[in-house]
Amino acid sequence: MTTRPLCLIVDDSRVIRRMTADILGDLGLNTAQAEHGLAAVEFCRATVPDFVLLDWNMPEMDGITCLRALRAMDLAPRPIVVMCTTESGVTKICEALQAGADEYIMKPYDRDVLLDKLVQVGLVERV
Amino acid sequence: MDDLLQEFLAETTESLAVLDVELVRFERETSDAAILSNIFRLMHTIKGTCGFLGLPRLGAVAHAGENILGKFRDRELDVTPRAVTLILKAIDQIRSLLAEMEVTGAEPTGSDDSLIGEINALAGEEPAAAEPVFADHIVPNLSEGGFPVAAELLAEVAEALSQESISQSVPAILPEPPPAPVADPAPAPAPEPVPATATREAETKESATAASSIRVNVDVIENLMTLISELVLTRNQLLQMQRGQKDNEFKVPLQRLSHITSDLQDGVTRMRMQPIGNAWNKLPRIVRDLTVATGKKIELTMQGAETELDRQVLEMIKDPLTHMVRNSADHGIEDGARRLAVGKPETGTIALNAYHESGHIFIRIADDGRGLDLERIRHKAVANGLTTEAAIATMSEQQILQFIFRPGFSTAEKVTSVSGRGVGMDVVRTNIERIGGTIELSSVAGRGTTFLIKIPLTLAIVSALIVEAAQQRFAIPQLNVVELVGVSDRSEARIETINTSPVLRLRDRLLPLVSLRSVLGLPPGGASNDRFVIVAQVGAQTFGIIVDRVFDTEEIVVKPVAPILRGTRFYVGNTILGDGSVIMILDPNGLSGAAGQIGATDAQAGQGEAGLSDGQSGEQTSFLLFRTGGGELKAIPLELVSRIESLDAASIENVGGRHVVQYRQHLVPLVPFCPAHHWKESGKQETLVFSDNGRSMGLVVDEVVDIVRDRMAIELSSARPGLLGSAIISGKAVDVVDVGHFLTQAFTDWFEITAMRKLTRQALLVDDSPFFRNLVAPLLASANWKVTVAADGLEALRLRDHGHQFDVIISDIEMPNMDGLALAGAIRSDPRWSQVPLIALSSRAGEDDVQAGHKAGFDEYVAKSDQAHLQESLTRAVRQASARNQAHYELRRAS
Repeated sequence: MTTRPLCLIVDDSRVIRRMTADILGDLGLNTAQAEHGLAAVEFCRATVPDFVLLDWNMPEMDGITCLRALRAMDLAPRPIVVMCTTESGVTKICEALQAGADEYIMKPYDRDVLLDKLVQVGLVERV
Repeated sequence: MDDLLQEFLAETTESLAVLDVELVRFERETSDAAILSNIFRLMHTIKGTCGFLGLPRLGAVAHAGENILGKFRDRELDVTPRAVTLILKAIDQIRSLLAEMEVTGAEPTGSDDSLIGEINALAGEEPAAAEPVFADHIVPNLSEGGFPVAAELLAEVAEALSQESISQSVPAILPEPPPAPVADPAPAPAPEPVPATATREAETKESATAASSIRVNVDVIENLMTLISELVLTRNQLLQMQRGQKDNEFKVPLQRLSHITSDLQDGVTRMRMQPIGNAWNKLPRIVRDLTVATGKKIELTMQGAETELDRQVLEMIKDPLTHMVRNSADHGIEDGARRLAVGKPETGTIALNAYHESGHIFIRIADDGRGLDLERIRHKAVANGLTTEAAIATMSEQQILQFIFRPGFSTAEKVTSVSGRGVGMDVVRTNIERIGGTIELSSVAGRGTTFLIKIPLTLAIVSALIVEAAQQRFAIPQLNVVELVGVSDRSEARIETINTSPVLRLRDRLLPLVSLRSVLGLPPGGASNDRFVIVAQVGAQTFGIIVDRVFDTEEIVVKPVAPILRGTRFYVGNTILGDGSVIMILDPNGLSGAAGQIGATDAQAGQGEAGLSDGQSGEQTSFLLFRTGGGELKAIPLELVSRIESLDAASIENVGGRHVVQYRQHLVPLVPFCPAHHWKESGKQETLVFSDNGRSMGLVVDEVVDIVRDRMAIELSSARPGLLGSAIISGKAVDVVDVGHFLTQAFTDWFEITAMRKLTRQALLVDDSPFFRNLVAPLLASANWKVTVAADGLEALRLRDHGHQFDVIISDIEMPNMDGLALAGAIRSDPRWSQVPLIALSSRAGEDDVQAGHKAGFDEYVAKSDQAHLQESLTRAVRQASARNQAHYELRRAS
C-alpha cells in the first residue's frame, strides 16, 4: 500500500496556497501549507514532506533562504524542492539550483504545468 | 472559483491596507531597505496572484506600481512625494477595482492606461525590461544534488537565454565543465535584504501560530455570540432559582455550569476581538495626503495598536477616529511657519494611544496644535442659535467646549477639502455613545487638544444596575453610573427644588435631577421620601436619576429595543432578568436630555429669539433672582454675572477688615449685599461673581432662586443705595440691584475701566457680515450695552420707523441695499435719530474714507482691521461720541 506523497506549499498568498492545494489534492497528493519560509522550516522540523513548492518573495524568510536552510537540515528522505516565482532572470534560476532546488517553475502556473513538473520529478505518473 | 475570488479580495484588501501604512512610513524613512522590500513584496504578491486568477487589468496596475518600487529598490529613481503619490494612486485604483469586483464577481472592463502611462512616464521607460544577467559566477552545483532534472532544466535555461540574445553569458552557464567560481564577481544588482534568521528567532513562534490560525465567517461568530447570550440568560435563571433553595445536589454542578458559561462567554468575546490597529490602518495615509495637500508637517504616532476590542465596536469607532484625526491634522495643527513663530517644533504631532483599563478601552487622540478657539466656539454657538449670549456668559470653559459636539456646529471657518463637510463632532459623539462609550475633551489654547474616548469591550453583554420606580424594574448600564446617593428627609442629602426642577446639592455641585417616575409618566411617589439618586454621567454631563429602590448589578444581555418603543428616547433596549422577567434598559443619554432641559430652561426660553435678532424682539433680559437680607426678591441682569459660586464658608478669609476668597491664585474681594450680613463660620456661602478686565469681585447673597427672562422696566426708582428701583419681573415685584454700587465698594476705580452702572444703554449695530456682528456684539455686551443688530441700512431705518431708540449707532460702511454713508445721511436728516452718536466701523480706513465718513455724519471712525484693539477703539469712540451728545444723553435718561 502506498501512501499519498505529502506536498508542502510555501507561499505568502493565501489565494495561491489554496489554489495550489486544490490542484495538488486533485492530482492525488496530500498537502500542507506554510505562509513563509520560517513557517516552512518549522514544519519540516516536525514532518518531512516529499515535495516542497517554494515561493521566492515572502516575508519573514524568503524562498532562497528557506531552501538553503532546508538543505542544511539534511532532511531524510530528502524532499524534492521546486522553486516557483515570477523572477525570470537566469541569475535567479541558477542561484536557486545552486542552493539545492531540484526544479524551477514560473508563476503563474496552472494545473498542466504543475502536473508536468510532478511527472518530471517522479511524484506522479502520467495517466 | 467564486470562493477563491472572495479569498483574493479579502487578502488583497488586507495587503493594500498594509501598503498604505508602509508606504507612508517609507516616505519618511527612504533609506529603510526592510520597509521597501516589504512594500515591493506585497505589490509583487498582488501582481502574482492576479496572474493566477486571470485578472489582467488589476495585474497591469500592480505591475506598474511594482515597476516604480523596483526602481526605488535599485536606486534608479529617487523617492519623491510625487512618485509615492503615484503609487498610492495605483493602490487606490486597485482598491476601486476590487470594490467593483466584489459586487460583480468579475474584473471590470475598462482601461487604466492613463494612470499606467503616468507611472511609466515617471519610471522613464517602458516596463518589463529584462533583468540584467550576471551569470558567470554562479554555476549549478550538480555534484551534490545529482538530480537528472537539473540538467534538463539547464538546457531550458540555456534556451531561454539564447532567446534573450545575451550571447556573451551563454557559454559561462553551460553545464560542462563546471568552472571554478570567479573570484571577482561582476557588480550584481542591489541585493534584496534578507532578514537574519537569528534575530528573527523570537518571532518564530508567533508566525507558527499565525500559520495555524483559521478564518471563520463573521456570521458564525455572531451566531455563537447570540447563543452564548441565551446561555448566560439561562444560567442566570438557574442561579436565581437555586438562590431560594437550600443546598441540594444541583448546587455544585450549577456552579460549574456558571463558571464554564463565564469562560465560554470570555472565549467567544475574545474570538470577536480585533486589534484596534485595524481601525488605524488608514490613518497614516490620510495624514500623509493631508500634509501634502496643506504643506504642514505632521507626525502621527500610534501606540497600543495591538489593543483588542470587539469587532462590532471597532466598526463603530472607525469613522469617528478618522474624523477626529482629520480634524486634528486639518484644524488643530498649525502650519510650520506659525509653529516656529510660537516656539514649537515645526513638525506637529498627533498621538493616538489605546489601552485597556478596568473593562474598558481608552483611546486618546492628542495633538499639539493650537487648541480649540473658545471665543470662536462662543460666537458660533450663539450665531447658530444653540444658546444665548446671556446663557453662555455663565458657562464654564468645559461647558462651552461641549458645543462642538452639538448638531449643526462646525468651527472650521473655511471648508477645506479635508474636513468641515458637515460630518461634525456631533456624529462622532453619537456614534461613540451609541456603543455605550463616552468622549471627553480638553483643550489648552496654543498647546493642543486631547480627546479621550472610553468604550466598553463588548456590546452584547453589559453590566447593569437594576433599579425600581413605581414597582417597575429598570436596568441602567453600569458604565454610566458614577455613584449612588440615598436621600431622605433625615439624611444630609436632600432633594431641593429650584423653579420646580429638582436638584441635589452634592459636594460642591448642584446636580440637576430627573425623576424616573415623572419622566416615564409613572404614577407619582407615595408617602415615603426615602429614595435614591443615581448619579450618572454621560459625556461631560453629570446628572441624577431619582428612583425608589436599588437592587443589584447584573450581567444583562442587551436585546434591541422593540420597534414600537423606538420613538421614545429613554430606552436602549430590553433584557430578561434571572427570574425570567422582561425589563427595559434605560438610556442615560436620553435621560440626560431630560435633565438638561430642566437645567437649561433659560436657554430654551430664549431660543426663539436667540442670536442675531435678539435685541429686536424687545428689551428682554435674563435676570438672576436671588434672596438676601429679607424683603423683596432681588434681580440682577444675568449678563453681568460671570459665575455663581457656592463658596465654602471656611475658605473665606478676613484681610484688613475686608472679606476675601482665594480663587485661581487671586484674591477676590467679597461684598455682602446687606451691610449687616452675618458671616457664616461653616457651610456654604452663595456668591455671585462679577468679572471684568481680569478683576473679579463676589457679591454675597443668601440664596439663588431662579433665572427668568423678561422685559426690563423699572417702575419705581429707589433712594436706597445699591438698588436701581423696583420692577415687575415674571409677575413678581423685585428690587433691581445696582451692581455698580457694589463694584465701587470692591474697587473704587472700577468705573474708570467700564461703565457698568448704565444698565439700560442701547446700541444699534449695523453690519452685513454675521462674523463681525458676532464679534462686535459681545464686545459691546461685555461693556454693558444692550445690542440690537441690523444687516444693512434699510433694516436699521425700519427699526427707526418702529420707534426704536438707541444711545449709539455703530455701522459698517460697505453693505448691500443701503450702505453706511447713505444710512448716516438718512439718520442725520431725520429728527428721530439725528442726535444719536454715530460710529463708523469699516475695513476701509484710509484718510479719504474717514473724511467721507465724517462728511456723511459719522462722529467717529473705527478700523475693523485692528481686531486686537477693537474693543478699546470702540469703547473710546463710544465714549467720545457720547460725550459730544452728553446733554442729549442725560435728557433721555432723565425722561
